[in-house]
Amino acid sequence: MKAVAAKALILVLACVTGFAPAAYAGPIVVRAALGRTVTVPEPPRRIIPIFASNTEIVAALGLGDRIVGIEAYTRYPKEVLDRPLVGGRLGFSVDAVVDLHPDLVVVTPSRQAANQLIDPMERMGIPIVVLLQRSVVEILANIRLVATIAGIAPHGEGVASALDRRMALVAEKTKGLAAPSVIMITGQLGNGLMLVARANTYTGDAILRAGGRFGFPGTLALAQVSPEAILRADPDVLLFAGTERGLKDLIVRPGWSDMRAVKARRAHAVARTELLIPGPRTFDGIEHLAALFHPAAFAR
Amino acid sequence: MKAWLILAGGLALAIVVAACAGHDWVTPADLWRAIDGDRDLHSRLLFDWRLPRVLAAAFVGALLGLGGAIFQGVFRNPLAEPYLLGSAGGAALGATVALLVPLALPQSLLLPVLAFAGAWGATMLVLGIARVAGAVDAAGLLLAGVAVAAILGALRSFLMLALSDETVSLQIVLSWVLGGVQTPTWSGLGVLALISFACVGLALLLASRLDVLGLGETMARAFGLDVTRFIAIAVLAGSVVVAAAVAFGGLVAFVGLAAPHIARWLVGPLHRSLLPASALVGAIVVTLADAIARAALPPAEIPLGLVTAVAGGPFFILLLSRRLRA
Repeated sequence: MKAVAAKALILVLACVTGFAPAAYAGPIVVRAALGRTVTVPEPPRRIIPIFASNTEIVAALGLGDRIVGIEAYTRYPKEVLDRPLVGGRLGFSVDAVVDLHPDLVVVTPSRQAANQLIDPMERMGIPIVVLLQRSVVEILANIRLVATIAGIAPHGEGVASALDRRMALVAEKTKGLAAPSVIMITGQLGNGLMLVARANTYTGDAILRAGGRFGFPGTLALAQVSPEAILRADPDVLLFAGTERGLKDLIVRPGWSDMRAVKARRAHAVARTELLIPGPRTFDGIEHLAALFHPAAFAR
Repeated sequence: MKAWLILAGGLALAIVVAACAGHDWVTPADLWRAIDGDRDLHSRLLFDWRLPRVLAAAFVGALLGLGGAIFQGVFRNPLAEPYLLGSAGGAALGATVALLVPLALPQSLLLPVLAFAGAWGATMLVLGIARVAGAVDAAGLLLAGVAVAAILGALRSFLMLALSDETVSLQIVLSWVLGGVQTPTWSGLGVLALISFACVGLALLLASRLDVLGLGETMARAFGLDVTRFIAIAVLAGSVVVAAAVAFGGLVAFVGLAAPHIARWLVGPLHRSLLPASALVGAIVVTLADAIARAALPPAEIPLGLVTAVAGGPFFILLLSRRLRA
């Protein structure tokens, strides 16, 4: 009875605020990652997006007020940061998720999220969608998919195609220009090895779409490389995903100041939030990268 | 009789406490409502998710305790343990192959079979190395076990690095390695229960011969026991038990070591009592450890293997130091 009353109240509020999601004609069925078919009986009103990227997608679609829970490493957008936590570094709590009575859970297969949550949510009958983001195309597809599930497919199409147009513009501006070789350092390991962006990831895809090419020939089997290998590859552009301070600490090391990119002042710090979170902000990141790779074309 | 009452009561209490524990603590009354068929979301969560998990933890613990008691009996060595003798590491390698290498058979079949093959192969290898080195004593077995476990661990890590281009399978393997009871469906739990009771039955068939072997190999031969053959059979049986535990619970350290010791304090050294008592102690220990894993740092969950290792490591050091002093 209480639940019915709450639903009615939400519906009234939604109508008053003009934010009523279009009701489905019937249950909606979508094909999502991992070969799963997900059936959603009605447009979700209580969404738990797990991981920053999924939260940003839900929020970018204007559904931030339907987010009822987040995980500990979600930092954006600010208005959802007060929502209860359902997990963090050590994994996710089925109890905490179910406590919030979600009608949609959106996850990405990392930090055990898919492994820990798919089975229990399926048993509880709570729709759970897994999103993969190995490329920019997949990020766009994720935006459209979440919008479809939320019953706002046309709005999602608008958001996604606007982002798509921005990519087309970048492609047009960089067309025919010589692609600089790029190495993007995304992290440093305790043993001195460095993590670099590589092909078949959205970060790698962002480098290519911004009109760059990989500083390492061939595809890397592992993301970890030695600093020596970076010195030897001597790319045209060196990117450090982190702060200016972090970049400075890096390039004062012996040998690094002699790199072509450092001498030519083409070593840049880039925003982790734009290039290491596969959401709508990735498109800002690609535009920023393109401007670094092809300053003349973007100065015009 | 008193010891059995303590064990049975302890297990019942552990199960109730564990079922109440979690991110949300519930009361026994909530539990009862869930069992009674309440369809509220929370009741369904308790009945379909938490209860099977708690009971699965109890069975996994029972298998670990039982496996430990068998190995300690076979090797006449109170430091013998599925982990230290390589069988758990072997089972984990087998399971990793089943999870990551694309093979033609269905995974539900491959996983237990390869876990068993790994457990058995690794234990026989450790035993063989110790024999060839002429050191089938505590130190020889432990050293051979350490070496084999290191090799198996490296092979497993290599497989994880090289074969998991898909994150989900890697996560499943990782959650195994860190130890964590999979939550079965009720029918899956039925299978686990059947396997567990069958394992206790199988172990009891070995009980009297384990007692004879405990008198020493020469004495056992004088009693007419074919020692070499019996050890081979008992290791096989122990490997079946460990493989079953690993298949449902991943790598959960030190329970197999500690449970038989606690059981010995309660029911004495004769295997007819010691084997089932070890299973009960193991069940109590893992049920409680799993509750701690779920409830200690909400909303996160600590891997079960870490809880038992942190609690069990000091226990092992204590046993080792007492033994070295003796």
